[in-house]
Amino acid sequence: MSHNYNKLPILIILSLATIPIFLMYIYLILDTFTDTDPGSIIPNKITLEHWRFLVQNIEGKISIWQVTLNTFIFASSVMLMVLFVSSTAGYAISRLNIPFRKEFLAGVLVLHAFPSITLIIAIFLILQILGLYNSLFGVIIVMTSLQLPLGIWIMKGFYDTVPWEIEMAGLQDGASRFRVWYSLVLPQVRPGLIALGVFSFLAGWSEYILPTVLAPANNVQVLSGYLASLIADDQHFDFNLFKSVGLFYALPVVFLYLFFQDKLMNIYGGGTKG
Amino acid sequence: MSISAKLGYVFIAPALILVVLFFLSPVILTGVFSFTNMSTATGITGGAYKLTTTVIRDLSEKGISKNTLKTIGSENYSISVDNLNSIKDKNINLALISELEQEHLGKIFNSRRNFERFLKKLNNRPRNIRDLKKVSKQFKSSLINRRFESKDEFIKSLEKLELKLNESEVAIIVEESYTGWVWTSENFHKMIILPETKQILINTGIYVTLTLFLFNTGFALILSISTFYLPKFQASIFRALWFLPRITPSVLYVLLWKWLTWDTGFMNAFLSYFGVQQRNWMLDTTINAWIFIILINGFIGASMGMIIFSSAITSIPKQILFASEVDGASRLQQIIHIILPQLKWPILFVLTYQCLSLLTSFEQILLSTDGGPGSTTEVWALSAYHNALNNYWGNLQYGYGAALALVLVAIGVIMSFTFLKIFRFNDLIKQPRIEQ
Repeated sequence: MSHNYNKLPILIILSLATIPIFLMYIYLILDTFTDTDPGSIIPNKITLEHWRFLVQNIEGKISIWQVTLNTFIFASSVMLMVLFVSSTAGYAISRLNIPFRKEFLAGVLVLHAFPSITLIIAIFLILQILGLYNSLFGVIIVMTSLQLPLGIWIMKGFYDTVPWEIEMAGLQDGASRFRVWYSLVLPQVRPGLIALGVFSFLAGWSEYILPTVLAPANNVQVLSGYLASLIADDQHFDFNLFKSVGLFYALPVVFLYLFFQDKLMNIYGGGTKG
Repeated sequence: MSISAKLGYVFIAPALILVVLFFLSPVILTGVFSFTNMSTATGITGGAYKLTTTVIRDLSEKGISKNTLKTIGSENYSISVDNLNSIKDKNINLALISELEQEHLGKIFNSRRNFERFLKKLNNRPRNIRDLKKVSKQFKSSLINRRFESKDEFIKSLEKLELKLNESEVAIIVEESYTGWVWTSENFHKMIILPETKQILINTGIYVTLTLFLFNTGFALILSISTFYLPKFQASIFRALWFLPRITPSVLYVLLWKWLTWDTGFMNAFLSYFGVQQRNWMLDTTINAWIFIILINGFIGASMGMIIFSSAITSIPKQILFASEVDGASRLQQIIHIILPQLKWPILFVLTYQCLSLLTSFEQILLSTDGGPGSTTEVWALSAYHNALNNYWGNLQYGYGAALALVLVAIGVIMSFTFLKIFRFNDLIKQPRIEQ
């Protein structure tokens, strides 16, 4: 916009409002490798002490690597399942002649807006009845199901932009409908698959409530639950340690986000978080 | 059937199965569970029949006679197949066992004295007092605290006591001693009469209204409009910083707020330079707890509005803005007369959408104050979670929690259908153009 206005007041007001975020994230990084005297805000010693949890288990906790592996299995399984199921269902709804097609799409839209967290109590009871409580598989399948409306909706949107001519040409050349989807259409919606895949992976990686409620056992713990249980333990209160574990936990998120920022923006724009 | 329809079935099936099993059925089952008294005590998959001292006390209030209860409550000695089988390997005279089995099966004695007197008269009676005691001990049984897996088994054991109960009395005893869950509408009654309900309703109102208006729309508007007027680089820095809370995993994000506000945290260290007393800023008073809950949620919520409003503002034709500047409009006039009217629909969308998510979200409150201090920041969704899934007392009220959740589910269903109406749905549906 034109420059005949003074933008200093805006800058000052915005900066003041942003101070908490700025402080929290600067000190998140700073505190993981420094020590600060109690009652002071300036770090006065550089140390790697707070990262010792990488090589040595925290008292009463299982190895961070086991937890990281669980989290990775959880997040990537959710990602793969969401990708697979959404890419087929999205195509069916966008392009194939199926009965109740209109109703399916309406259902996807309604469920997409529906706040799935309210179902946690019923899901907890269902998993108990099915015997899937306390298993990573149970949480994966629940998380996938709850992500599906969003996933199908996004994939449907991407399929809608693929020109019909591509498919018609494929059919003319004698390819089956499946072959056309697999060889011609899927490559066209790659950006959608990447965005949805990264989004699902990040959602799985960050999820706290589902794994904590549905699989609280130690051997299937994920990083969110691990960090929360560290903080909840009143005996060993150590913000610097918590922050180091937290930074370790959040690094993949930050990198994936920075790398796929443009692709993710679409999904976050219609995001579901409070 | 056309090939495309067959492929369609195969393609839609996995999604349909998963969504029905873990998305639609929970919606319905929340309703079903809310009409039960399911809890940790009753279990989930069904129960057994067990008479405890508490049950007997309840039965006396329901009009079962004192004598009956006394017999039920006391121990008895019965010659049953089970008891005989269990003593076979206990080094007891086999002749005695077979005599009991053949001639006296099914007899019941209601005191040790009667049973021992009976034993002494048998042909193969125990030789001495020690053996007699040893034998009689094996036959001792009591309905008290004994677990029966089936109703028939329980009634049969009741009948063995020969109490001459009529059918309605048996029904009362069976009902009272059932340990599993039963159907009830008690949860909704409880929800209405409990004073806590009113409290969490007010809390939910405060939480949703303040966060929604101050941050999710209010501050989001300020952010998107002010960054619109800033040079690109500065704008992108502010947008990136305000986006951080949304992408940070919630556990870590709330931890950062705790570090800022708790006793050993940053605020105390900073304010101690000015001689302010150290305290837990997040939890020391109700007002402070509310301020931080709204800040914590608002800092996340602001970014969604920011993205949506920013893209709406950039889509306003630049010529209109230039023209207004030529005509001498001040920046404020530009915002009020050009930008805000363009944002009407995005604002309405963010308001309704975020209202629903705030109403049902409890993750950040759970991680930060957990409803404290006391239960002054307990909101509806958190209360459902606390009742059904996690509380200090350990007795989890699944049924009551489900009833609380059902209220939110109902609101969710209504509001999501409303969204469907607002979206121009028919525009989104296009008939497939390949008909095979």
